Amino acid sequence: MAYITNTLTMPVTVERIQPASDTELARAAAAGDSAAFERLYEQHHRRVYSLCLRMLGHGSQAEDLTQEVFLQVYKKIGSFRGDSAFTTWLHRLTVNQVLMHLRRRGVKLEHTSEEGDFTNVVETPLQSTRRISMVDKLALEKAVSQLPPGYRTVFVLHDVEGYEHEEISNLLDVSIGTSKSQLHKARMRLRELLTKR
Amino acid sequence: MVCKQCQELLSEYIDGALELGEQVNLERHLGDCEPCRAVRDDLLQIVHFSQQLPLQSPSTPLWPRIQSGVEELKPGFWSWPLRWLASLRTLNFNLSVPQIIAGAAALAIVVSIGVMVSRRDSVPVASPTGATAVATDDVTLLSKAEMQQLEKQISRLSETVERRKDSWDPALRTAFERNLLYIDQSLVECRHQLKDNPTDDVSQELMLTAYREKVRLLAGFEKFSQ
Repeated sequence: MAYITNTLTMPVTVERIQPASDTELARAAAAGDSAAFERLYEQHHRRVYSLCLRMLGHGSQAEDLTQEVFLQVYKKIGSFRGDSAFTTWLHRLTVNQVLMHLRRRGVKLEHTSEEGDFTNVVETPLQSTRRISMVDKLALEKAVSQLPPGYRTVFVLHDVEGYEHEEISNLLDVSIGTSKSQLHKARMRLRELLTKR
Repeated sequence: MVCKQCQELLSEYIDGALELGEQVNLERHLGDCEPCRAVRDDLLQIVHFSQQLPLQSPSTPLWPRIQSGVEELKPGFWSWPLRWLASLRTLNFNLSVPQIIAGAAALAIVVSIGVMVSRRDSVPVASPTGATAVATDDVTLLSKAEMQQLEKQISRLSETVERRKDSWDPALRTAFERNLLYIDQSLVECRHQLKDNPTDDVSQELMLTAYREKVRLLAGFEKFSQ
């Protein structure tokens, strides 16, 4: 309860409704509150879908996986103890689901030779002299979806989601060097794709 | 430093992961090389804008699908057996002989557990007239001699199987190990039960069954790669 003063200096009592935190919603959902679970979905489904979409590069697969992620959330929400933020827990669960999906499909990191795949240096600057506009962000999004799955996984985890190479190496069970190499190849491939458009 | 070397290091340079010496060399090259500077600037832009990609929305509403999935997950009296039966229809049974043997062994243990439990439930309450003792005598108790004999048999078979296992097909080895693990888990469970209650006739009988199944499993797989 808080007091505010109106123009007539009369005290008026106003009840401020605080939005429930993710942790509170998660606890309520774990106790069987369907409305709380729906609110968690409303608040986070775009984030989950975007991550799935970027890692898979395919809209309908991303939708299926988003559905699967939220069903997993429903099953496992009782194990969320609130030690970390709900978003962190959800993010980790989503990444694991996507990686499991990719493993089931037999997707592996791209083969990279000692020489590298970019022996021909593209010397034409992409757009060095101007800032990337919103349209270019869309182009970047499209180019990410065109990356080979292995490059895309490392690129999305590192550059979009902010994972460190060490975390990526643990998640994908590869060396840190492989993660770095895949990231570099991914960035260079993106540059190629954006130059071609 | 040549352009190719420079461009291979650009990502690490952008991420600030280069050692000082490499960084100095690379910056020296960048100072003299317009094309490499252009690549660096492009990569910088890609990295910068990757962190600002907008959130996307699914093209179709997903909540109804999730809601109906949640409803299916909610436990109902018939939901589990019905789902299990439904999943059986979609299974593609393509099993090898040893997998069938191992499956049968596992099934036998499960059935044994069911029979044991139902028998234990139907054992009459102990009475001063010794009715319980009679009921317990009906159950085949795990005799020390029999157990030792089975353990010897298992040890002999295990040695042979271990020697031959390396030459098996990987799928066969996986099937064997999965089923062996299943039986061993049952044995561990029985040992725990018997530790808590050494006279528990159900656990004794279960343990005996598990030992026999282990012998059957090992004997079945022993024939491979003879």
